[in-house]
Amino acid sequence: MNLEKVIFGFFVLLAASVNFGFVYGEIDNLAHHNEYELFAALVVSLVATMLKFGDRTQIGAVHLATSLVADLQLIAATVVWAYAAHVSAAGVTPQAMAGVVSLAIGALLANLVSVVMLVAETLSFQRR
Amino acid sequence: MSTSLLVFLQRLLGSESETVAGPGYERRGAGWRRARPAPVQATSTIFLVLRRLRPPLIALILVYAIAVLGLTLVPGVDDQGRPWKMSFFQAFYFMTYTATSIGFGEIPYPFSNAQRMWVIVSIYLAVIGWAYTIATVLWMLRDRGFRQAIAVRRFAARVRALGEPFVLIAGVGRAGRRLARALDVLGWRVVAIDIAPERIDELALEPFHSDMPALAIDARDPENLLLAGLGSPSCHTVVALTGDDEANLAVVMTVALQRADVAVIARTESRLAAERMRAFGEPIVINPFDLHGDYLRVAIASPSAMQLIEWLTADPHATRPPLRTPPRGRWIVCGHGRFGSEVAADLRAEGLEVTTIDVAGSTTDDPTVITGSATETAVLANARPLDAVALVAATDNDTTNLSVIATARRFNPSLYIVARENQPSNAPLFRAIGVDFPMIPAHILLHEVLPRIVAPLLARFVAAIPGQGEAWAAALLVRLAKHCGDTVPLRWRMRLDTTDAPALARWLAAGRGLALGEITRVRGDADEELPAVPLLLMRGTEVILTPSADQALAPADEILFVGTAQGRRALAWLGESDEARDWALLGRHVPSGWIWRRFARTGS
Repeated sequence: MNLEKVIFGFFVLLAASVNFGFVYGEIDNLAHHNEYELFAALVVSLVATMLKFGDRTQIGAVHLATSLVADLQLIAATVVWAYAAHVSAAGVTPQAMAGVVSLAIGALLANLVSVVMLVAETLSFQRR
Repeated sequence: MSTSLLVFLQRLLGSESETVAGPGYERRGAGWRRARPAPVQATSTIFLVLRRLRPPLIALILVYAIAVLGLTLVPGVDDQGRPWKMSFFQAFYFMTYTATSIGFGEIPYPFSNAQRMWVIVSIYLAVIGWAYTIATVLWMLRDRGFRQAIAVRRFAARVRALGEPFVLIAGVGRAGRRLARALDVLGWRVVAIDIAPERIDELALEPFHSDMPALAIDARDPENLLLAGLGSPSCHTVVALTGDDEANLAVVMTVALQRADVAVIARTESRLAAERMRAFGEPIVINPFDLHGDYLRVAIASPSAMQLIEWLTADPHATRPPLRTPPRGRWIVCGHGRFGSEVAADLRAEGLEVTTIDVAGSTTDDPTVITGSATETAVLANARPLDAVALVAATDNDTTNLSVIATARRFNPSLYIVARENQPSNAPLFRAIGVDFPMIPAHILLHEVLPRIVAPLLARFVAAIPGQGEAWAAALLVRLAKHCGDTVPLRWRMRLDTTDAPALARWLAAGRGLALGEITRVRGDADEELPAVPLLLMRGTEVILTPSADQALAPADEILFVGTAQGRRALAWLGESDEARDWALLGRHVPSGWIWRRFARTGS
């Protein structure tokens, strides 16, 4: 067992699951989406990105790319939320919430690709 | 990550790395012998930086996350005295200006003591996080391996960016540096590699006209040569001038096997190494020790020929070399090592009597050699310096050579002195003592290598000079001196084809005759010659030395000219423009526009 692989797998999976936890629920219902969960999703996703830095293999490059996509979407989601809460006069409306959640769903897709790649890699490693 | 999946992906994507060079592939085929990118290049800087920065960046993210999260949880009070908690946005804003020590204060409301306690923790965490990050960056920049990786990458990028033909010089010692300088002046691009970093540093301090990629790497490694542009289509010539015969051989080998179409010039100091080099394709092998004797022979047979050779092959900043006239008679050669024995053999071949002196127990068992140190008066007296005409100080030690010269002068002040100069730092001493014929390996290498790169026809011409006799060489010297004075002439080639001289090519294609004298004379004065002297005309495999003015020209003739920049411009203009050509050859202005041509035709 390799500690590096454990940490790597942990963060990749955590990023996907926290992200899923945030988006689960009605898309425009404020009560179904917790801001702390979005924060956690962003932080975990950023850490996962850092862990993927510096791997020069083809699969490492794709891993990094998916992570960057997820980061971008989650940052966009937090910016939309902050704008709605602090700048826009209307406050956090269901429309704004729907925008935040749909961005986070996009990030979830990228995170799922990461997880699929992780699983595929692990399986092909065991077959050897 | 997993390699098996990688292999699988490569197969899926049809990566051509392993499969192409199969057994059926012809050895001389162009495909796989061509440039394969050197693996060193793959270590891209950004990945190195990212890999090193991974821990500090993760630490920084975590510090920020903890601080921001804490700020959103700690209870505070707003301006109305109601309980209030920061939002994520406010917390991140606060951390952004606090952690970077900008410090706007407690925004939006004054903090509660609970919040202040957490802020203290956050600030210390953030300072540690940033300090860690900055320290890592600084440490990384100081790291030798990292700096070397950056240098290699920059070098490779600069070599790749070279779009024009360039010369790859392996080994920039004395000769290599002079060659680089001369090529730079002549407008050639140069890539330099050397195993010694200090020589590369010295090169970097020189004021070159164009950017010269240089890197301290070992030329013996084929991958390093590929990195230095051996695989590039712009690679014109490879010159191996390292002091190590083995390394030069490795370079010749690599070039022959990787790029058979690239010319290679290699220096060697032993006949054995030269033979081994010649086994690989057709390298030009230059042995400076051997050449010195040859030059001496040429000078004895015909001083003007020697001067002509030296002048034509000099680097562009030099001046006209003096006429050296080594006398005939009995010569004394001090030092019978590789260098001395070559010189002695060449002198004997010229029909001269030679007395050699060498220290006891050295390389030779020749009984005619006087043993003993030539610096000792008694030993030198055995060589009868009084009735000798010349002395060659040929040891590999400058101090010995200088002292031999001083001792011999006391016996016979009129001796003609030939001296081998080993260290460039001793050049002033040799100049002060008065040497008639200096032998400097770096000089001779330059004289041999430079024409072969910049004007291959010149190398042919120079090789033919000694066979032409003293009178011929003296006449040519006078002709050159008229145009160039004491400066080194420009050397260029003109080919009568549609790319090099389209106007003249059209003239010849139209079946109109053309004599060489017609293009080299100044318009309006049949006797006045342009400052461009035709040295050699090549037609197919036929070579005509110093073609005369009435030599008829044919399409695709190649002519080697020497002269001044003015002569070169005049000839280039004549070759390119129909107008200039007609003005020079017909003596009248021929209109260039279609309408005016119509008028001119009806008029005439």
